[in-house]
Amino acid sequence: MLPCSWGLWRSAIHTLKTFRASPSARGLCIPTRAVCDAETIFALSSGHGRCGVAVVRVSGPASSMVLRNMAGLTQALPPPRTALLRRITDPQSKELLDRGLVLWFKGPHSFTGEDSAEFHIHGGPAVITAVLQALGSLEGVRPAEAGEFTRRAFHAGKLGLTEVEGLGDLIHAETEAQRRQALRQMDGELGRLYQDWSYRLKRCLAHVEAFIDFSEDELIEDGVLNQVDSSVRQLETEIERHLKDERRGERLRTGVQVVIAGATNAGKSSLLNTLCQRPAAIVSPIAGTTRDIVETSLDIGGFPVLLSDTAGLRDSSDSVEREGVRRARQRVEQADLTLVVVDSTQLPPDPQLVPAFLQEHLSTVLPSPEAGMKAASDRVLLVLNKSDLVPEEQRERTEGELRERPGLPPACFLSCSTSTGLEDFLTVLQSRVKTLCGDPLSGAPSLTQARHRAHLQQSVQALNQYHQYRDQDLALAAEGVRLALTHLGRITGRVGAEEILDIIFRDFCIGK
Amino acid sequence: DMRAVGKWTWLTLLRSDEIRDEYDVIVVGGGHAGTEAAAAAARLGAETLLITQKIMTIGALSCNPSLGGVGKGQLVREVDALDGLCGRAGDSAGVHFSILNRSKGPAVWGPRAQLDRERYRQFIQSELLSTPRLTVLEGSVDELLVSQPNPEEPGHHRVTGIRLVDGSHPILSSSVVLTTGTFLSGSLFMGQTTSPGGRMGDAQSCAGLSYTLKETLGLRVGRLRTGTPPRIVKESVDLSLAQLQAPDKQPTPFSFLNTHTRCKPEEQLPCYLTHTTPGVERVVRESVHLNCHIQQDTKGPRYCPSIESRVLRFPGRRHQVWLEPEGLTSDLLYPQGLSMTMPPDLQLRLLREIPALHRAEIRAPGYGVQYDFVCPTQLTPSLQVKSTQGLFLAGQINGTTGYEEAAAQGLWAGVNAGRTALSLPPIALSRTQSYIGVLIDDLVGRGVTEPYRMFTSRAEFRTYLRPDNADLRLTPRGFEEVGCVTLRRYKKAVSVRDGLQEALMALQSVALSSTRWREKLGNISLSENKSTTLNGLDLLQYKDVSFEMLASAFPECLSQYFEYSQRLKIEAVYRPHCEKQSREMERIRSEESLSLPSDMDYLSLPVSLSHEVREILDRVRPNTVSLIYASKVILIKYIIMTTDGNRKFR
Repeated sequence: MLPCSWGLWRSAIHTLKTFRASPSARGLCIPTRAVCDAETIFALSSGHGRCGVAVVRVSGPASSMVLRNMAGLTQALPPPRTALLRRITDPQSKELLDRGLVLWFKGPHSFTGEDSAEFHIHGGPAVITAVLQALGSLEGVRPAEAGEFTRRAFHAGKLGLTEVEGLGDLIHAETEAQRRQALRQMDGELGRLYQDWSYRLKRCLAHVEAFIDFSEDELIEDGVLNQVDSSVRQLETEIERHLKDERRGERLRTGVQVVIAGATNAGKSSLLNTLCQRPAAIVSPIAGTTRDIVETSLDIGGFPVLLSDTAGLRDSSDSVEREGVRRARQRVEQADLTLVVVDSTQLPPDPQLVPAFLQEHLSTVLPSPEAGMKAASDRVLLVLNKSDLVPEEQRERTEGELRERPGLPPACFLSCSTSTGLEDFLTVLQSRVKTLCGDPLSGAPSLTQARHRAHLQQSVQALNQYHQYRDQDLALAAEGVRLALTHLGRITGRVGAEEILDIIFRDFCIGK
Repeated sequence: DMRAVGKWTWLTLLRSDEIRDEYDVIVVGGGHAGTEAAAAAARLGAETLLITQKIMTIGALSCNPSLGGVGKGQLVREVDALDGLCGRAGDSAGVHFSILNRSKGPAVWGPRAQLDRERYRQFIQSELLSTPRLTVLEGSVDELLVSQPNPEEPGHHRVTGIRLVDGSHPILSSSVVLTTGTFLSGSLFMGQTTSPGGRMGDAQSCAGLSYTLKETLGLRVGRLRTGTPPRIVKESVDLSLAQLQAPDKQPTPFSFLNTHTRCKPEEQLPCYLTHTTPGVERVVRESVHLNCHIQQDTKGPRYCPSIESRVLRFPGRRHQVWLEPEGLTSDLLYPQGLSMTMPPDLQLRLLREIPALHRAEIRAPGYGVQYDFVCPTQLTPSLQVKSTQGLFLAGQINGTTGYEEAAAQGLWAGVNAGRTALSLPPIALSRTQSYIGVLIDDLVGRGVTEPYRMFTSRAEFRTYLRPDNADLRLTPRGFEEVGCVTLRRYKKAVSVRDGLQEALMALQSVALSSTRWREKLGNISLSENKSTTLNGLDLLQYKDVSFEMLASAFPECLSQYFEYSQRLKIEAVYRPHCEKQSREMERIRSEESLSLPSDMDYLSLPVSLSHEVREILDRVRPNTVSLIYASKVILIKYIIMTTDGNRKFR
């Protein structure tokens, strides 16, 4: 089925390429200038986790400056695409960070089409963090957004949309990565703080916009702007104070997020305890023992994993348990990988009925019913626990039935009490985690922090523009608030015009 | 008006037997969208037939007697820059001109005018009459003719023409533009009575067309509602109890071609402002049970389309009512803000609760309209129905409200219908370049849940999409690439562009230290330190510095640019901000230009995407890569809802 649809795809995209909007005529305002003043970005591109060598990629016009400063290249740059062993130092303190390979790519002959550099450094978390921090301290250099390298490559024409993979990458960078990132950042204390700022900033913008778009026809008092003035001041003060606070709030979660989920009493907590080889969670035969999320950090095959045990999913009249179930569902949505634990004694005795049973079961555990079927293969593992209580013959026949079953995620029989099947399960789990670690999004809290910091700083700067233009030109003043919200939105999720209109129509009576 | 009727007699004679069997473009509907569409297609060089139910109502302002405003004024300027009709019609018919938001920055200025209904209609009618290649026919369209698609192009059907209600033989065309307004399964509401129709006093809506769209073409439709206020006899109003709102002393024309308006400054009419009272609220509350339209309003739009929804949703407040003139010779006033659907006797009672209206007489009561619209996500950025080659939709049929929104879509649909007929590829406007682009991109990318109206806050690049520079943004391209702009206008725009360019260079050529500037211009506050060198353009950014001041300091090189003084000042203030945004604009533009196949199978796309994203992409079917943003917004919203434990969004 796949090869056929690929072919169709390619031809479809080719034909539609003719439907390109022509390059638009430029008005007076926009000078004809190539897009060459782009900022320089960096990111750990080898993914997260313990590895021998980590690759940090830099792209943008300041790449050569970065290379000179960090690799002590006072003279000429190395020949393009040639590895050079250098001492890598902090540009400010000149402290030695690591010895590693550096490479120089002169644009357009690079992945992004821009001037680029790569640092191949030792893979320890301390070294990586130090190098990323040093990069972030350079003028005009900032951490990359999710998918930004791909996006730049796309704009440089390096990533043809005629390639299905190219389009997939782009959509992935734009939506999928953002989605998971936003989900994570929404969680926790820091997330709530940013959300609160974002909410208040949205209101400020909505009120300025209401004044611009409607005050000539509708009753919108001048006092609205005075309120915005003081709200903006208050926000500036709070964000600045936060930026000065060296503790920078809570520790951001690190590692691939693996969540154990399933019905009550399937043995979820036993699985957690088995995996971390200590009784981290209370296990009991009483259904509903685990009510809140139990988290533990693990090392699986050299990769950092944050394992969470969740409350068993069932309808409960107990409000504490209901809250636990809500949190469990929320955590499943944020997960990189979900281990769905099933009590194998509950499986239908007839192995032929098992796939349908499991599909049905998955749909109750996973966020949206169909998501279970399609996304299953890469983000879900089925753990059929208590295998020691199932007759061996039935187990083998069921295993045969489930092998390579399209539409179902891989399933492993396991007994947490006898550890039978543990090794096979760990092999599957490890390979999944390894794949997920290739995704730079699954970790790197230091980078996330640096990114947040940069956006918060830009946000405060933009708010300045509001005051600067408040009395001279309200359109430009509003632009300041909008820009501040855009920067904050890079952390909390993009804010569109519709959301602002929602607030306007809620707070003011606007006619036809 | 006998004169207007006389002009049209020969056209009505063209009925059935004298019209041709085939045209390049057929436009159905003679409102703001239809007239712009027909005129644009004809300007492009297509033989065009405009079919309307009543020739006399071509160019009629069926609701408010005004044009422009904040956001809407920008649209009028852009339609004019592409050589459309409504800007010049507004200049001819305006009786009260004002620039709204004067104190808030030129980017958000809103050129607006109260109109004389007769003059507006006359202008549009005579303009259409003198447009070469355009024929007007009075009649009702019974059905669209649909055949097999051209296999070379995407789509499941192809439109080949129309059949009239009373016509035995079909009229063929390469493309059809439907601008049926509120007439698609329209029904009128007043009090507890409903009747079929799209506008009071006009023919019923065409059931055949609705059937073709829904059943034959399988288009998804939704239902929207709108309304209009009662018209009040001017003599019965005590204007001394209302606040007089004077027009601008010097009217500013909408059109880049006009230096002044038909109405002389001193001939302009005033508007009046008054407010609702607690009595108004009482009448609304007491009449809710007699008011079908408002009872069905539970899932209404976020804004308040009628006085009923205003007082019910924001009780205990005063609401503004504008009393607007309907024309130089009209004896009516239009109460903007008092759209209502209660029974006529209660409408009168309500009006009389307002002091200035305590003796008011109603000429025609207000009423509500409910009508079908075609979900605009089924359209391409050229406003063609994705599934049907050659079929274009514009105006309220796409879920918008407002004359200006309709005119803008009409023009663009007409352009593309003409291009299709002339075998030229479709063409799209970027949201980085125009409000028309924002409008269409929002419609086809996000769809509508309530009548869509333009606001400046919808435009990301508002400081660039200004009313003052619409000619520079659109006219050259309209001539060179699109073909909808006449040579005369093009020449004018090019000469303005060159003149401004020269003037900007001249400004940049005068450079002095800030100390010297202070000496030359007197006491102005410059934030730069003494030794900084500033050129004239830098200086013009300052609030207290005008072009006139600079020109008097350097008369030899600047005085010849006096005619551009206001535009230069605006340009100087916004230029730095626009430059900062240019990279973002460039990015969006390049993404807009990459289209995605409309029949893409997102569900089995062999890439790593979650099923949620796949489903959304499958539903949204983005036209271009840029619209992936739209789906991202949906996603983020979804996330917020679900993390709140609230799954209502899906």
